[in-house]
Amino acid sequence: MNYLIYIVLQIIVIIVFAPLINGVIRKIKALSQKRKGAPVFQMYFDLHKLFRKTTVVSETSSWIFKAAPLVFFSTAVTAALLVPVSTIIPQPLTLPGDFIVMVSVLALGRFFMMLAGLDTGSTFGGMGSSREALISSLIEPSIMVSLFTIALITGSTSLSKILFVVNNSETRLPLQVSILVFLALLLIIIAETARIPVDDPSTHLELTMVHEAMILEYSGRHLALMEYGAAVKQLTFITLLVNILLPLDGMISRAGIAAILLSLLFYAAKVLIAAVLIALIEINSVKLKLFSIPNLAALAFILSFVAFLQYFVLGGNHV
Amino acid sequence: MSDIFDTLSVLILMTAFVLMANKKVKAYIKTFRVQSALIALSAGILGVGAIVDEGRYDLMVVCVLIVILKVIYIPGLLHKTYAGIEYRTEKDFILNIPILVLMSCSLVVFTYFSLSASGSINEGGIDPQLVNTISVTMIGLLFMITRKKAIGQIIGFLEVENGIFITAMFSTQGMPFIVDMGIFIDMLTAVMIMGVLVFKINITFESINTDRLNKLKG
Amino acid sequence: MSFLILAVPVVAALLMITTRIIGRMHSISITASGTMLVSAIPITRDILAFGKIESSFMGGILYLDALSVIVLDIVLLIGFLACIYSVGYLNREIILGAFDFKRVRFYYALMFSFMFTMLLALSVKNVGIMWIAIEATTLASAFLVGFNNDRYALEAAWKYIIICSVGIALAMLGVIFLNLSAMATLSSSAQLDWTALMDNAGSLKTSSVRLAFIFILVGFGTKAGLAPMHTWLPDAHSQAPAPISALLSGVLLNSAMYGIIRITAVTNRNMGSSEFTGNLLVLLGMLSILTASVFILTQKDYKRLLAYSSIEHMGIIAVAIGFFTPASIFGGLFHMINHSLTKSMLFFCSGTILQKYGTKQITKIKGAIKLLPYTGTAFLLGLFAIAGTPPFSIFSSEFSIMSAIFNEGDYIIGSVLILLLAFVFAGIAIALFRIFYGTSGTETPRPGEINMPGTIAALILLLMIGTMGLLMPGQLEELISNAQNIIYGS
Repeated sequence: MNYLIYIVLQIIVIIVFAPLINGVIRKIKALSQKRKGAPVFQMYFDLHKLFRKTTVVSETSSWIFKAAPLVFFSTAVTAALLVPVSTIIPQPLTLPGDFIVMVSVLALGRFFMMLAGLDTGSTFGGMGSSREALISSLIEPSIMVSLFTIALITGSTSLSKILFVVNNSETRLPLQVSILVFLALLLIIIAETARIPVDDPSTHLELTMVHEAMILEYSGRHLALMEYGAAVKQLTFITLLVNILLPLDGMISRAGIAAILLSLLFYAAKVLIAAVLIALIEINSVKLKLFSIPNLAALAFILSFVAFLQYFVLGGNHV
Repeated sequence: MSDIFDTLSVLILMTAFVLMANKKVKAYIKTFRVQSALIALSAGILGVGAIVDEGRYDLMVVCVLIVILKVIYIPGLLHKTYAGIEYRTEKDFILNIPILVLMSCSLVVFTYFSLSASGSINEGGIDPQLVNTISVTMIGLLFMITRKKAIGQIIGFLEVENGIFITAMFSTQGMPFIVDMGIFIDMLTAVMIMGVLVFKINITFESINTDRLNKLKG
Repeated sequence: MSFLILAVPVVAALLMITTRIIGRMHSISITASGTMLVSAIPITRDILAFGKIESSFMGGILYLDALSVIVLDIVLLIGFLACIYSVGYLNREIILGAFDFKRVRFYYALMFSFMFTMLLALSVKNVGIMWIAIEATTLASAFLVGFNNDRYALEAAWKYIIICSVGIALAMLGVIFLNLSAMATLSSSAQLDWTALMDNAGSLKTSSVRLAFIFILVGFGTKAGLAPMHTWLPDAHSQAPAPISALLSGVLLNSAMYGIIRITAVTNRNMGSSEFTGNLLVLLGMLSILTASVFILTQKDYKRLLAYSSIEHMGIIAVAIGFFTPASIFGGLFHMINHSLTKSMLFFCSGTILQKYGTKQITKIKGAIKLLPYTGTAFLLGLFAIAGTPPFSIFSSEFSIMSAIFNEGDYIIGSVLILLLAFVFAGIAIALFRIFYGTSGTETPRPGEINMPGTIAALILLLMIGTMGLLMPGQLEELISNAQNIIYGS
């Protein structure tokens, strides 16, 4: 019974609300440019429109081209199911799988997306795929090191366990580790969700695209699945960020439906804060040259590595 | 309470890394400003504690001095010196930036192992603040060695001084007042002399690329 | 009396700024340095009689003991002779049109500030203030090194200030560690006090003292010209004007070495044995001698040759201190004195030669004895002296250091040392033959001494090093013994 509640909750919250986050970020960016911008729910309308359109498939493509959107979307949803939005669901409920599975599953989806970019034989797709390979290979160590640090401190790699320990009102992560991992994850989110300063999501110049270039050939429901999967991935990472590093669930002392709703309310607020942060970063930076991205990745790695080092320097204690 | 200082020392270490990852002169000066502001903040917190506990005002004076000198005056001086020199971004590197950032990382590890191997400085294990602040000094040295332009070397020297100052601050609660004053005066004079020398070098060599300072060999 | 040595240079520097007549500047300079030298006599006498001079001026900062007085006397003596030399040197430069009164004023003001900072470093007992003074010496001498304002001088000045400032900053880290080591046992006013640290050395925290030693060795070693931190030295000492080079080589290096000696004494007393410091000092010392010997063999510029020779001799002193036996410490201190006197004399002569011939290339100055009879002879004998020839004093001190090393039973280091000194001798001899055994080239300057006061200063020094090689005055021996006792602990 608890499993059912949990899965329903995850699906509704993450999968249903993922496109909303895109809309919020876009709206904030538009407001900062003194435009009204598209309505916040615009992405839902776009997805609805795309699902009804016909798909055009190139003759030179293989089965990968048709499979990739499905793989990408399903891996995104699988990863989303691994990151709890609320820790009020009563224990002992631990899902099989931990953050290593999450990262690997997302990597699988990314791999298929890169293959799809290469599949049609267009130059822009190949270019996008190679750039994506560079960026993701540079960013992955940072994800692993920061999450491993959190895992070492909390004593488990299962995300549910981690969140449970962190949200417990008695224990908390050391402040400096929190700050460092927060900054590192913020940079990682920017890289993974292809936002300025790594990649401009609203560009129409193919030579500057990374993520968009790989899905350039897609149309109709394939494109819808790709976009939706990206939005779900984005919300997954944001959930990871806010739930580990802004633990507010510990303040809820009651149990039952009211507590779950309250924690969801907190979650919504936290996600909104994260969205505003991401939007602010996008507004205030410029897109980096491709060859400056390793500098950013190095910075993210350093942030996570120093957090890891702080764990040692502090004596290697569990929290 | 020591949690705050741990966090501050980590943030100062972060500014050292950000400084290493930068290429533009304006970014150097801005990051240095942030670093000095954080150090002034630490001095201020320590100073408030000193006033409350022991009635000593010297740490607060030191904090104010840091703000005046390192946050306001010296960056302004450097900006003025560089306004006349046509040079904005450093393009020439012996080792590229990600490698330098990784080397700074290994310096932190090295500092940690050196301090733990030489016995605990303070009781109860290694003081994490000390590891961070000494790493800042070492990273400043690395910065000085790897930049070719004179401005890089000046900023690196200032970062080394920052690191040493914050080490003194965290470990011994500040040196005797007269020593602190002497350090300030020394540092200020050093920066001014370096500024004048850079100016002269610019006129003589028509560039501030210290690579060109290679005629005296053997 | 002790205040005079600190107050007079400051007053002199200020007076220089106010005057515009060059002759007056010369007289102020000679008077001031003469006064300082004369006031050294009662100070030395007091030290021999009482062992130390302390004063409660400004909270008891001033402190002199036998070790500081040895280095102090050298500073004052060579300062005085450098001022005498400068008179002739600057007058010649004015005739050549290179300097005007503003440059001369700047020169003298900086020189006296420089001397003040060095004297301050030697006469305080607070490590922090000593550090500040040594940093200040770098700052005061930066513009002196770059005095000629051409591209080589600027390059030398830049390297000098950057490398030395970094070194000194690292030394500050060492001072912090020293402070940390004493925090548990000493009161806060005594934590940075040399005498308190020496007396309570056993109760300091060893791990911290070790770190302090390493950082201070690297930091002050940069200032003293020990390899591998020596890279600024050949440039700075060769590009500076000759009397300033004499001060840098003969005096400043000693002051930095003084700091190293003090921290070595404290560390050894704390650790109970000299093995840790000895290994490091001997390593750096041998490295310096090796580097110097390699570069001396291939030198083309005689001022750079002299600068590398300074590195070599500082290396020898480091090795002597590193061995830390009474005999080797005695030899090391004696060597400090001899090296200063000889090297200053050599730099004075080289300045005259430079002004005469207009070039620093060894191959271009031929027939120096014919053109400059006194200076040339002094230079020739000085080069023999610095290479370690008897009967000059450097031979005596090197010999005593070597016998101390062999007495300790360390034949390997002793033999390597002899080998390296032989290389240095060969290199200097090659340069000697080039300078003194050629016929003059087509463009010969007119024969005749150009800087009589300077030449006299050089000859005085020559006389001193000649006699000290044969006979050591009793008071000098007593002074050095006292210093040795302070370091080694009787």
